[in-house]
Amino acid sequence: MLALLKLLQSIFKTLHSEGTPGQVAAGLVLGAGIGLTPLLSAHNLVLFAALALLNVSFGGGLLGIALFTPLGFSLDPLFDRIGLDLLHAPGLVGLWTSWYNTPLVPYTGFNNSVTLGSFVTWVVLAVPLYFLGRRGVTWYRANLAERVINSGLGKAVRASVLFNIYRWFRPE
Amino acid sequence: MTGTRLRLVRWRATAPLLLFVVALVVLWVLFADALARRAAVATLSDALGTEVDIGSVRIHLAQARVEVGALAIADPRDSTRDAFEAGTMVFDLDPVPLLEKKFVVDELRLSGLRFGVVRQKPARAAKPGSSSAQLLHETEQWATDKFHYPTLALGRVDSVKALVLHPDQLGTIKAVRALAARSDSLKSGFEQSLARLNLAPLIDSSNALAARLSKADPRQLGLAGVKDAVTSAQQGIARIKQAQQDLATLDRTTRASVLALQQGLADIDAARQRDYAMARGLLDLPSFDAPDIGAALFGRKSIDYFQHAVYAARLIQRYVPPGLQPWNRPGPTRTRMAGTTVEFPKVAQYPGFLLRKGEVDLTAGNAGQNQLRADLSGVTSAPALYGHPATLVASGRLIGTDTITVDLHGLSRHFGSAPKDSVVAQVNGVTLAPISFASLPFTLHPGRSSVGFRFALAGDSLAGAWDVTADRASWSADSGGAQPQSVVQQAVWQAVSGLSDLRIHAQLGGTVDAPTLAVSSNLDDAVAARLKALAGQAIAAGEQRARSAVDSLVDAPVQQLKGSVGGVASEVSSRLPGAQGQLQSAQRQLEAAIQRLAGPAGGIKLPKF
Repeated sequence: MLALLKLLQSIFKTLHSEGTPGQVAAGLVLGAGIGLTPLLSAHNLVLFAALALLNVSFGGGLLGIALFTPLGFSLDPLFDRIGLDLLHAPGLVGLWTSWYNTPLVPYTGFNNSVTLGSFVTWVVLAVPLYFLGRRGVTWYRANLAERVINSGLGKAVRASVLFNIYRWFRPE
Repeated sequence: MTGTRLRLVRWRATAPLLLFVVALVVLWVLFADALARRAAVATLSDALGTEVDIGSVRIHLAQARVEVGALAIADPRDSTRDAFEAGTMVFDLDPVPLLEKKFVVDELRLSGLRFGVVRQKPARAAKPGSSSAQLLHETEQWATDKFHYPTLALGRVDSVKALVLHPDQLGTIKAVRALAARSDSLKSGFEQSLARLNLAPLIDSSNALAARLSKADPRQLGLAGVKDAVTSAQQGIARIKQAQQDLATLDRTTRASVLALQQGLADIDAARQRDYAMARGLLDLPSFDAPDIGAALFGRKSIDYFQHAVYAARLIQRYVPPGLQPWNRPGPTRTRMAGTTVEFPKVAQYPGFLLRKGEVDLTAGNAGQNQLRADLSGVTSAPALYGHPATLVASGRLIGTDTITVDLHGLSRHFGSAPKDSVVAQVNGVTLAPISFASLPFTLHPGRSSVGFRFALAGDSLAGAWDVTADRASWSADSGGAQPQSVVQQAVWQAVSGLSDLRIHAQLGGTVDAPTLAVSSNLDDAVAARLKALAGQAIAAGEQRARSAVDSLVDAPVQQLKGSVGGVASEVSSRLPGAQGQLQSAQRQLEAAIQRLAGPAGGIKLPKF
């Protein structure tokens, strides 16, 4: 419940005031990477570190995770097929063999069909997602933000103490 | 923020991020062992298709060592027992391959090993959809489908029912139909081929030409006329020779086909024998031949042993690929879909898993007790990389109530032309579990026995043997000591109950698709003689009834077919020589005409053609 409240707060704050639409969209893209791919993968440490250290919207990242995690679960069979096709593509076997026998690389789990398929899907979708996210946030702030802020839910979320923790990660 | 340059890095988040990393490290230190234990339990359970319990896992990163405590692997075919228990297992890992997520075990030490221990609570069954559960099911189905043991259906001996068969049940009828179609096809094909040769017009025209030339006077024809006449005769001879060649070809192919038909008749006799057996099976007549007695008594028990071995060998084949091609394995167990993890072995690199050397020492108790030592080596996920077979050698003795000696050799070679897994074991002094029989109300207690077991699966070929020798076997009647009821059961009981000497030999052969099993025992002849004396006449009558039922349906079509095949054969053997004779006669006439026109009697010297 606490985590959910924190998530709502950060998303709320992100959409209404924190960061430019570009920063929110960049955070959304990084969060989508974490959400679409299996959580306990080495690349997600990198994505999470990027989300925390880069001057992008952390709330956007949480929004990305929240939106794309269920999508990742539901698209797993598709990722599995994409990953298997890539892993068995004759032209790529040399590359995979080289990576498989390179120190540390196997810990990324690249040779798992779901991990590879979801990661590649995220890479392909990252740029369109960034532009879509940026336009979406701009449109939201111009058309819906005011009404949501003045709603009961908006006031409740803003009043929470936990919001202060989130401030550590807000864009500068 | 508008008008100011955005900074790329959010430095004030560094501290929380570092805290997060520290938290991860702390969590790892606290929970790595538990996570590794859970992962190992899940992976082993999925791989082996049975419940695997692990008491503890301790990872010593500094020493690259993993200690596993209280490992228990349930018997996949008996949920009340553990097939294997190990008190402690210590894995000394080679740290360098760990960088590539590969587990190379320099040395494995096992202690506290036990087999067949009764579990405190029954093991969970494998997940129905898991690959190992499917494999187990396939193996059980394989044993059910491929092996059929004669049953001592003793109640049927004196009640042989009337048997009504349908022609479609009989393989003979199907074979007759197929062969009749071939015979008809051969006959019509032969006639069409003969017609296509157009022999009659050729013979007629050749005879006419020969007759015309025989009446021609060379002096009247003149040089040019004679030359034309001889040329016509030679062309006629050439056509005859061509026709003779075609006829010889037709003769050869047709005779080969007739021979095949005659061989088909022999196959029909074999099909009839099979139909006799099928009809006999429908009557459910017991077989009292000695080899069938052995199979009926000990066939199921024998195949239990071989079924275990086939399952284990197939499991090994599933996880140990023979070559260096990319190899699919199930992905990790997780909330998300597991997917498939593909391994990409490469020459001169480490395999994903390798156990270089393992030692099992079961020495325990007072000096001289429980001295069993096992060594295993070369266990790997990519044998083609390692280049040596995996071997297991175990020998020693276990002293409990009795002294049991064990000698075991296992080999798994999954490189080269075909994968091969084999095991040879000899256990002496072991007390075997009682053997019950499906159709007999008594139980055999082999007591202390010597058991030999050999098994090999090489590619698709099976080979194996199971031997039991016991000198103090005993027999007990089921149902609280009640004596067997049926006359025949009593006869079997009388034959075996006094026997304390037991020798069983089961021999497995053939291929996985077509396995063979021969079982014999020292009880076979004694039981067979008793039963034949008791029920032989009734069984002979039943067998005759089965044969008559088949013959009544099969005799007429088979006779008709034999007539048809004979007709084709006689037609071929009569018509072709006749045609050959006519052609030869026409050829001789034409040659005589040429001789007359061109020879000295003609009086005209012709140039040589």
